[in-house]
Amino acid sequence: MPVVTLYWDELERLVGVDRETILKRLPMLGCDIERVEDDHLDVEFFPNRPDLYSVEGVARALRGFLDIELGYKHYEVKRGSWKIFVDPSVLEVRPKIAGCVVKGVKMSDEVIRSLMEVQEDLHWTIGRNRRKMAIGVHDLSKVNFPLTYKAVDSSFAFVPLDFDRVMTVEEILKEHPKGKQFAFILAGKDRYPMIIDSKGEAISFPPIINAEKTRVTEKTTDLFIDVTGFDENVDKALNILATMLADRGGVIESVEIIYPDRTEVKPDLSPKRMRVSKSEIFGLLGFKLSDDEIKLALERMRFGVEKIYEDSVDVLIPPYRADIMHEWDVIEDIAIGYGYDRIKPEYPQTNAIGMTHPWNEMREIVREIMIGLGFLEVITFTLTSEKVQYDYMRRRRPKPWEGFVPVMHPLTEEHTIVRTDILPKLLEVLSQNKHHPMPQKIFEVGDVVIAMKNRLRLSACITHSKANFAEIRSVLQAVMKELDLSWDVNESEDPAFIEGRRADIIVSGKRVGVFGEIHPEVLENFGLTNPVVAFELDITEIFDCGELI
Amino acid sequence: MLSPFEVNLLRSLEIGKLYSIDEASKVAKISKDAVLKAAYLLQEKGYAEVKEEIKKSYRLTEEGKEYLKEGLPEERLFKILKERRKIELSELEKEFGKTLLGIALGWLKRKKAVEIENGKLVLVRDDVKFEEKEALKLIAEGKWKDVPRDVLRTLLKRKLIEEDEEKEIFVKILQKPEVELKEFITDLTPELIISGKWREREFLKYDIRIPAKEIFVGKTHPYERIIRECRKIFLEMGFTEIKGHYVQPSFWNFDALFQPQDHPARDMQDTFYLNRYVDVPEDLAEKVKQTHENGWKTGSTGWGGKWDVNKARQLVLRTHTTAITIHYLAKHPEPPVKAFCIDRVYRREAIDPTHLPEFDQLEGVVLDENVGFKDLLGLLREFFLKMGFEDVRFRPGYFPYTEPSVEPEVYVEGLGWVELGGAGIFRKEVTEPLGIKGRVLAWGLGIGRLAMLRLGMKDLRKLYQPDLGWLRDCPAIRR
Repeated sequence: MPVVTLYWDELERLVGVDRETILKRLPMLGCDIERVEDDHLDVEFFPNRPDLYSVEGVARALRGFLDIELGYKHYEVKRGSWKIFVDPSVLEVRPKIAGCVVKGVKMSDEVIRSLMEVQEDLHWTIGRNRRKMAIGVHDLSKVNFPLTYKAVDSSFAFVPLDFDRVMTVEEILKEHPKGKQFAFILAGKDRYPMIIDSKGEAISFPPIINAEKTRVTEKTTDLFIDVTGFDENVDKALNILATMLADRGGVIESVEIIYPDRTEVKPDLSPKRMRVSKSEIFGLLGFKLSDDEIKLALERMRFGVEKIYEDSVDVLIPPYRADIMHEWDVIEDIAIGYGYDRIKPEYPQTNAIGMTHPWNEMREIVREIMIGLGFLEVITFTLTSEKVQYDYMRRRRPKPWEGFVPVMHPLTEEHTIVRTDILPKLLEVLSQNKHHPMPQKIFEVGDVVIAMKNRLRLSACITHSKANFAEIRSVLQAVMKELDLSWDVNESEDPAFIEGRRADIIVSGKRVGVFGEIHPEVLENFGLTNPVVAFELDITEIFDCGELI
Repeated sequence: MLSPFEVNLLRSLEIGKLYSIDEASKVAKISKDAVLKAAYLLQEKGYAEVKEEIKKSYRLTEEGKEYLKEGLPEERLFKILKERRKIELSELEKEFGKTLLGIALGWLKRKKAVEIENGKLVLVRDDVKFEEKEALKLIAEGKWKDVPRDVLRTLLKRKLIEEDEEKEIFVKILQKPEVELKEFITDLTPELIISGKWREREFLKYDIRIPAKEIFVGKTHPYERIIRECRKIFLEMGFTEIKGHYVQPSFWNFDALFQPQDHPARDMQDTFYLNRYVDVPEDLAEKVKQTHENGWKTGSTGWGGKWDVNKARQLVLRTHTTAITIHYLAKHPEPPVKAFCIDRVYRREAIDPTHLPEFDQLEGVVLDENVGFKDLLGLLREFFLKMGFEDVRFRPGYFPYTEPSVEPEVYVEGLGWVELGGAGIFRKEVTEPLGIKGRVLAWGLGIGRLAMLRLGMKDLRKLYQPDLGWLRDCPAIRR
């Protein structure tokens, strides 16, 4: 989630209250304050509120929330004569474009930095890392209208931002830092989106890089902003930028977008309307509100209240709100505007009988037995590697999917699969605890995943200088007795154990586990110097452990 | 009151005689350790005196051993000179080497046996004695006491011998208290009980202050104890426990929860994907598809774009237990339902003290017709109260599948307000395509967070990478 840096002097000036009030109330609007410094604070806003990624947006929201300026804020758009022609060639590549002109904003360092930060945050959130939407900001005086938005081939060339030479699209994608970073978005394409001005010169190669010639400097006073992409997220991002710059004192002028089949005028800063039913408000919140309370709550959140009817409310949604998909999104804002701290919690009357799951019941029973036998419970990761699970154990690697589950793109060599056995994890535990006094008796009762399904296993180990077969057999005998099982053994062929000192555990003719003395080569693999005796038992093979989803 | 060892020692040793521990151990027929312990105890009671003596001894160094075998260098030089009387120094240097010749020459000069004339060494005395050689022999035989002190000093200086110091302990019995010497019962044996003989004798009183040998307790993992506590609370509140597989299709982990397919949380950056695809229920998939694309009948606009069933078919290691709760609700869509799940989830994260690639999560859901946000807050307050957090407050939160969403905070002494999990009401875009009737209140939290508060842990790795020392020291009782 984006962390926004807000400078106190700006924020206090724009909101009109002191920092104590801001610090106290801001979290109740919905955010996490990460850090508070003398000159600024870092705030993490939620990804559904990109309109709060700038100090202007936060100030606008806070002025409502703190009852300084309530209700819907109207934004004027002057009719401009700016035109963008959309060539049919680009419709296959990146079909949507919108833009606006902003005049009369003094481009101080502060404003440029703030604008660039918002741009990056929007790219990341609404833009899904520029895939769905990308923004270009230009010095209007360097742009020769009308513009054409079209698709070009890889030999098309211009001077990209931060470079002093003409580069082809192909070169930019291979050599320019931004080209390399975002080339994946255009991978597999042989035509590339380009915004070209009336002199035939490129001003932007979305979603990669602008041209150097329209670079914004401190001398810039008027801006042209382009937004390209695939869907209505283009308009959402443009509206957030336009309203933010309007709050900075900018005058917004519209741009005409001429598609082959239609003409659009952007930005559209008029409100959307939504009818929200009162029964839905009361039902979802669980309590009733008066008309005045509903109105005040909505206006605090900067919604407009057009009319309140007997059973519903007509709400004006500001153009910068990108998150309102559903009635319930407005109702949440009513709850926030009303104040989460003012809502009286009430324990629901829903009646139901509590029931445990047999899987965990079984774990409790097994745990009780093992603790009674003096074993210490451990918990380990289920992520592990083929090396530890099979190679170290001298066991043959099973086939993936039939046996273990391999993960794609593991982060380390230690975590490449989900465990199919617990015993290797216990040996790992012993190897990390050699310095602690002997004897060590540990167990784990938990899940393994075989053929993509969970199974419940119990495994236990004993280690000390005289650990032997008889010791683990008497433990296993006790466990099987407590589980009220009649059982038998077979000579085992498990190479993890010493031949002649290993046994398969048989219940109702089925092999359900193994026990014995761990093979010295296995001990060496784990760096163990004391003998270890152990068993592992598949509980799900023996008992019904209930339904798993 | 005397211990059996003390009694034994008093009986076996003569009054006034000095015994080394070795000797006393032989006489009393008990181990040296026992003698030592008993001797000190007797000294405390005034029956014995314990003396410590520093015992010196000498032994040959490697050089000393060599000289004993080969002869001292000066001795060897003397032998040659005795035959030839006068030898060029340069010739000797070839034979002895510079260092050894220096040593030999120095000692012969000190004994006034040689002089140097025009680069030649001349023997001037024939009756030279080499008592050092004799001394080395004596010391090697352990008879260092026969070696004169000044010779010992010389040998020490020449690093031919080394001095050892050993502490020797002696015990002397001062008096024997007749009364105390009668035999007490140490171990109460079946024989003593059956014969009734215990009536005739007194019990030896033990020193109850001496700690006994440490034994290691078998016990529940402290983390399991927290999980057990949470389970108990859920069961008391009438929730049914559910459980699901770690491997889940993306459909239940993401799509059914209205997570857009291009959502950053679905990136391979954060999720362990598996290279395996399974079928998803067709009827549900169609409704979920429409909801994602255009909102279907839910009243939502949807996310727009195209929803790809193939992405939903890909398996993942579940990133949250909500994959299980939502599937359970889809199977049990009629209210009322109260269910909970406490289990393992996975995130593709590098391990550090507060981030783990897998951890345990707790989640509860209530499905009912007439429940709302205030009921969710009521549930949360009750749950945290049962967990021992008396002060709970609520802040707006954000989760993609709930609306409204809330971040509960609890007050912890010394830490202040601590965020503890998240909660909300499942969006209609989640419940309606799955046919779930009513509203779903849901909340969840990472158990690690609770462990940090309960066990004062700073490093969560300890929970899953067991340190037996820590586990053995973690008390069963909750403080």
